[in-house]
Amino acid sequence: MISLRANRGDVAGGARAMAPWLAGIVPFGLVIGVSAAHADVPALAGWLTGPLIYAGSAQLAAIGMLGTGAAPMAVVAVALIINVRLIFYSATMARYWRGTPWWWRLVAGYLLVDPSVAVGLEGYRRLGRGRGHAHYLGGAVLLWVCWLTAIGVGAAAGARLPAWLQLEFVIPLYLVGQAVSKLADPALRRAILVAGGVALLALTAPLQLGIALGIAAGVVAGLTARPAGPARSIHPLQPSPEAPR
Amino acid sequence: MNAWTVILAAGLGSFLFRLSMIVLFGRITMPASLQRAPEFVAPAAFAAMAAAGVATVCLGLGVTRAAAPLVAVAVAIIAVLRTGSPQAAILAGMPALWVATALLPS
Repeated sequence: MISLRANRGDVAGGARAMAPWLAGIVPFGLVIGVSAAHADVPALAGWLTGPLIYAGSAQLAAIGMLGTGAAPMAVVAVALIINVRLIFYSATMARYWRGTPWWWRLVAGYLLVDPSVAVGLEGYRRLGRGRGHAHYLGGAVLLWVCWLTAIGVGAAAGARLPAWLQLEFVIPLYLVGQAVSKLADPALRRAILVAGGVALLALTAPLQLGIALGIAAGVVAGLTARPAGPARSIHPLQPSPEAPR
Repeated sequence: MNAWTVILAAGLGSFLFRLSMIVLFGRITMPASLQRAPEFVAPAAFAAMAAAGVATVCLGLGVTRAAAPLVAVAVAIIAVLRTGSPQAAILAGMPALWVATALLPS
């Protein structure tokens, strides 16, 4: 039974639990908005990556690749490869949403992304299923509103900024920062170096498939570097500036 | 296929990913090797897109004008390694790009 009215306190609690995530998420949304404004993509289409794709890394990839004239199928393929992790988030939350109405599964599933999974899991573990639904929704809706607002503000501001700022270089620098910050872990380092190297070697590959090849090679390199064992958690339970990835 | 349909297709695919296991719960089990893959997808994607993005920008600018973005990337890498913060790449790299563009011959 889902009763949001009876659990208003838990809705507010979920929103409060999401607040620390917003410190990292809002600047990321602004960067995506600014990038969309400076890419060769219609402004509304750039903003629509927010409500439609609703995952920052895939949005960046789509905007960046569309801006450089990549083949449409390559853009879709790369965005979906990046979003494969959503299947695992879906599997994680499915046990809590079993037997819930279809409308709830559609809405809650649409809002599924790294921070909402983290906040939602914490709520289900602490409050149980009934009150956990309200906690999840409170956090997930606040995240959705702030994410789309940040992209919109970034797009509006970015379009008015002068060309000498070279804001089109924000995306490559953001990606460099994300990759370099993960080099400390040996398996991730191997995945990163192989992915970057293969993408460079395949730079002239048709349809910009070099990026997809690089990702695939990096994932294989990471898997072979880390001995098989219990799967590491892919749920970032601590607030991180990366999210929503 | 234009930008609109690309974004729509990527959005629809992402939504289906989100719904997949909610709908199929209990009917399929994922192989163990596949369960470990997502850990590496985002870092590999960041690295592949960063390498391709920087290379594309530099190739488009030519040998002499490519120096400024390369300086910016070098400063960004050093800043992230020293601070451990991914945001340092933009905070240090963009000012480095502006200064290098102003100072280096074009």
